[in-house]
Amino acid sequence: MYEKHVLICAGTGCISSGAIEVQDALEAELKKHNMQNKVRIIMSGCHGFCEKGPLFIVFPEDIFYCEITAEDVPELVEEHLIKGNIVDRLLYLDPTTGQRVTSHEDILFYSKQNRLVLRNCGVIDPENIDEYILRGGYLGLKRALTMDPFDVVGEVKKSGLRGRGGAGFSTGMKWEFAFNSQNNKKYVVCNADEGDPGAFMDRSVLEGDPHAVLEGILIAGQAIGSDEAYVYVRAEYPLAIRRLRTAIEQAEEYGMIGENILNSGFNFKVNIKEGAGAFVCGEETALLASIEGERGMPRPRPPFPAVKGLWGKPTCINNVETLANVPLILRRGADWFSSVGTEGSKGTKIFALTGKVNNTGLCEVAMGITIREIVFDIGGGIREGKKYKAVQIGGPSGGCMPESHLDLPVDFDSLTAAGAMMGSGGMVVMDEETCMVDLARYFLAFTQNESCGKCTPCREGTKRMLETLERITQGKGQEGDIELLEKIATTVKDSSLCGLGQTAPNPVLTTVRYFKDEYEAHIFDRRCPAGQCKELLTYYIDEELCTGCRACKKVCPADAIEGEKKEPHVIIQEKCIACGACLERCKFDAVKTK
Amino acid sequence: MEKFIDHCCEKCFNSEEERCDQFVECCLSGPLCHENEECAAMRQAIIEKLAHSPGYLKH
Repeated sequence: MYEKHVLICAGTGCISSGAIEVQDALEAELKKHNMQNKVRIIMSGCHGFCEKGPLFIVFPEDIFYCEITAEDVPELVEEHLIKGNIVDRLLYLDPTTGQRVTSHEDILFYSKQNRLVLRNCGVIDPENIDEYILRGGYLGLKRALTMDPFDVVGEVKKSGLRGRGGAGFSTGMKWEFAFNSQNNKKYVVCNADEGDPGAFMDRSVLEGDPHAVLEGILIAGQAIGSDEAYVYVRAEYPLAIRRLRTAIEQAEEYGMIGENILNSGFNFKVNIKEGAGAFVCGEETALLASIEGERGMPRPRPPFPAVKGLWGKPTCINNVETLANVPLILRRGADWFSSVGTEGSKGTKIFALTGKVNNTGLCEVAMGITIREIVFDIGGGIREGKKYKAVQIGGPSGGCMPESHLDLPVDFDSLTAAGAMMGSGGMVVMDEETCMVDLARYFLAFTQNESCGKCTPCREGTKRMLETLERITQGKGQEGDIELLEKIATTVKDSSLCGLGQTAPNPVLTTVRYFKDEYEAHIFDRRCPAGQCKELLTYYIDEELCTGCRACKKVCPADAIEGEKKEPHVIIQEKCIACGACLERCKFDAVKTK
Repeated sequence: MEKFIDHCCEKCFNSEEERCDQFVECCLSGPLCHENEECAAMRQAIIEKLAHSPGYLKH
């Protein structure tokens, strides 16, 4: 029996920070001390605290070490694993108290979370089905197999679970439509085409707990009367695909996938389809077209996929996080699930917290928590003590919530009413140095580039909005541009064929709604209040700080800087192209902008 | 018995040809189809090997 278990986070983030090197060093060190049979190494899925990776947790005492390198490992083995002494310098340092924290449960990043879907991520070895079973895995499927399929649909419906992929439609109702569609062949499709920049919730669930997703798929199959599923996962997620393949093989070996599952007479097969990474393929009808080998483009609905989906057969499509909730609902009951969250939004939501926040990473919170709690408690506030400006919720098609909305509850209905959306769970935090007009331009450039071009409102509307925003950020804005943006945005929102077009104007509409003064400053004053739009900046040299070293003069591509050696230089405004090269080069902080 | 899928003794019949409907529960607190302390101990050994902390089994 093992005396200690060392859990190393092996999510994609920690691997890129050096988790595999830490694993190699630990294996070598244990071998050196002949401790291979005393210490078990668990390479887990994402533990969430990506900012502090690689993470190294020692059990059973639950000592949380962070930002570990291979060079730290000999000391950890010698001091902690052999002598039993905690290595203080490698513990998490609480920035508020200045104290070292031993257990992850005492870190605010974790203590404010409610990890239900992520219950196994960072806890088990995702490539070991025995660990999943030990944590209650496949008990939900077992219960479902003893129930009438209609009652399984009813249980999910009663739980209040809503789709976590974007639209927030009732999962139970979706299942009911598929259940009621009469056909000798039906499909379940798991949408793992997580396309939002900065979002990695689904990837982390697949990497850290693939059996939970498989169990959700199996329960959906049993409920709607299907015998086959496809997991549509983007090829850019190689680790998630590898772990999912391993999980499918193990589930087949254990009889959880295949013929006569748990002697119930239920047969089921799971396939993986790797997507090429088009954002529009996250839209369900485009995704189905892609699986069928067609170009990924949406089609008008109705008929909805639940009636006519993959290869014309009734198809139930849910995303990864939605399906990972299902085993818990079947195991612990709809009433238990609906006790978490708000009246209209039950359960929890996973967010990928990124941007100008201290604690970037993955967090799962009960619906109804405020933006303030996520950004300032879990996220640890804004980097470098700067001022909060906004948070972009819901990916590139989401909305920007200003400081006045920090106490807004995070749930489907509150976010929609405020002009944002839950989306898949991307949360990008911005500080005072972010230009909101440029931000709208940035996100619109993404959605415009990803627009499939099938419908005119999205294809032309996003292009025209982008052109207008580019003009404004280049100092060429005109009176009437704000109204023009609002008019096009509303038209695109109301008349686009699919969710991509219908939500693409959200960043424009919310930034105009909450940060109109910044648009007006760009258009009427030719000024960028955040100091980010290069064409709107005026560069000058502070005579007091300039040493006349000539570094700026040498780097200026427009020959716009004059001055004698060792004498203060000046920038000739008529020649300056505002490229910022002088500012980057100056060692004396003498080049300024206004 | 290294893994839950391994048979504890000849009385375990779970196979591709004949699936056991109590397999999942059997992993956690088996054997369920017969009584045998050694068979129970084999499952317990797997559990003790994997459960790395007191909260691990309280899910």
